[in-house]
Amino acid sequence: MSNVSRVAEPAFVARRRADWDDLERLARELRERGPKGLAGAELARLGPLHRDVCGDLAHAQSARYSAPLVDRLRLLTADGHAALYGLRPRGRGLRGALLGSGSGGLVHAFPRAVRRHAGAMALAAALFFVPLVVGALVVLRDPTFAFRIVPESMLKPLAEHYAQGFSGGRSADEGALMAGFYVNNNVGIALRCFALGIFGGLGSAFYLVFNGLAIGAIFGYVASVGAGDNIATFVVGHGSLELGAIVLSGGAGLALGWSIVAPGARTRLASLQAVGRDVVAIVGGASVMLVMAAAIEGFWSGSSIGALTKRVVGGGLFLLVLAYLALVGREGRGAGGDSK
Amino acid sequence: MEPIAPRVEMAGAPRTAAPIAAPIATAEPRRDAASRAPADADALLDAPIDTPIDAPIDAPIDAPIDTILAIETPEHVVFEHRLAGPARRLLAYVVDLFVCYGALAVLAGLVLLAAFAVGTQLGGGEAFAKLGVGLLLVALFAVQWVYFVIFETLRGRTPGKLVAGLRVVTITGRPIGLAEAALRNLLRAADALPTGYLLGFVAMALSPRFQRLGDLVAGTVVIVVERPEVPRPLLLWPPPAPWELDALPARVALDAEERAALELFFRRRGTLGEGRERELAEMIVGPIAARYGYRLPDSVRTLALLYDRALHTGRADALPAAPPAPPASPASPARGAAT
Repeated sequence: MSNVSRVAEPAFVARRRADWDDLERLARELRERGPKGLAGAELARLGPLHRDVCGDLAHAQSARYSAPLVDRLRLLTADGHAALYGLRPRGRGLRGALLGSGSGGLVHAFPRAVRRHAGAMALAAALFFVPLVVGALVVLRDPTFAFRIVPESMLKPLAEHYAQGFSGGRSADEGALMAGFYVNNNVGIALRCFALGIFGGLGSAFYLVFNGLAIGAIFGYVASVGAGDNIATFVVGHGSLELGAIVLSGGAGLALGWSIVAPGARTRLASLQAVGRDVVAIVGGASVMLVMAAAIEGFWSGSSIGALTKRVVGGGLFLLVLAYLALVGREGRGAGGDSK
Repeated sequence: MEPIAPRVEMAGAPRTAAPIAAPIATAEPRRDAASRAPADADALLDAPIDTPIDAPIDAPIDAPIDTILAIETPEHVVFEHRLAGPARRLLAYVVDLFVCYGALAVLAGLVLLAAFAVGTQLGGGEAFAKLGVGLLLVALFAVQWVYFVIFETLRGRTPGKLVAGLRVVTITGRPIGLAEAALRNLLRAADALPTGYLLGFVAMALSPRFQRLGDLVAGTVVIVVERPEVPRPLLLWPPPAPWELDALPARVALDAEERAALELFFRRRGTLGEGRERELAEMIVGPIAARYGYRLPDSVRTLALLYDRALHTGRADALPAAPPAPPASPASPARGAAT
């Protein structure tokens, strides 16, 4: 077989080396400092340099230059590819992804994704609230049934605690401790509830039903010892955020699972990836909701503020959450809102 | 005019570090990724432009089981990444665990110390301790769910992956963003079931790209970060003597496997004993030497001269006037002879 190139390897290297070193440096700087760390002229060079190096790789392969040279060009092509095609319009930072520019960030993507998957959300709400209500009613009739769902050793102190009411309030340090606990516990549950949806939605369904049942049992038991008003006052402040977020992330998990069960025109893997990408904003939004809920639960719900105030504020918050999910991120009428 | 060889042949050239024992070309031609690319241009146009071309549909049944991810760029060249296996990823994970829980332990120690100091100096240490525990619980959450996402979004790798020389990229070879990092790390909860990442391990074993469930959903792979070596051309040393060149044919044509095998052999020469070196050369010199009727007493030298001639036939371009660097290996451009 003959040589397709009349250029010998050392001459080729000598001629092209400066460009290779430039691309290597540019790709590294872009990786470390992001697009804003580079001058405009440098960024503009990236494309032409990368295409030249792609050509060099093809040339080196067909001219059968030595393996280390082909290897180096291969790695350089990979670097250039990642640098050039990895550029994102709003940058790669966390702030860009959360807030975005215009309506591209999580603030808008979250309620949109929820509305796109309204069916899964409704199913999740049913899976959560039906056991909750049923559990509460059954336990109201027969309080000992609650011990089958939630350990007695946990329920009794809980009931006593609510029976006392909130006149004593909660000190700031106690609030911080509980807020930390709620973040770790509740957000963890919500994230797991989503992740286990990958098993055809079964994991999410299990978490939703089980948590609904447990919360219903606690409600029913506390009510059965006569502290029903107190626990309602406690929950109303953060409930819309906390329970809502669990339902939303469970719904996202159900959508993920359903994408494998009924992939439609896609392969199962492609369907899983598309839906995963679509619902991840819901999980992000739900996590933010839960962190807010934890702060409210820790510092507000257990405080000695009057019951009426708590209920009014809680009700207002509930409406606010509903309005946010229903309205934010809708396309403006002719105002040039982003498509999707 | 000489026919242009398909460029894909070199793609199968052994990597310099590949542990191939004998430099003999195997009877079966090595299939490389590029030869599986859709042949017709329309198909290429229809396909998403950076679909990895090793998609299972196109893979022939006897494709080598390999840990290489080939990616065709929009410029239609193919580059490859080495995929990271479970062992290396476990190492990275263990390092991450040490980093996370080490930091958590330090934080816990500080909280304890501070609470103790506040308690003895001012009183109210208990209240302070509660605050600290609240903080610790938030840190515990961050360690479990946030640490991986933040590092992989910003750097493409956690500290553990940095130590193990790994990086997370999308299956199209691009850096991952927040959505990918969040998805693949949320799905850890599923991969970790029933215990000790058993499910993730099974998924990796079944996946052609070592993807656990989180990687499958996010469309990511974990690759080994490679450091490019400094390319160093092989030099024929000592320069060919006139009597060696007398019988050397003007044109020597070696096919891709022969060239790759010879290159690997000469690059590895320094690590072989003299006996082994001769033994390996004897195995391959016969057919090649017979083809050109050229055989010196020293078979290694024979191969070096033939390889050098094959490499530089017809290449007579302007070269740096100064003679190349001192000898590292036996084949050299021998430029005078090539013209």
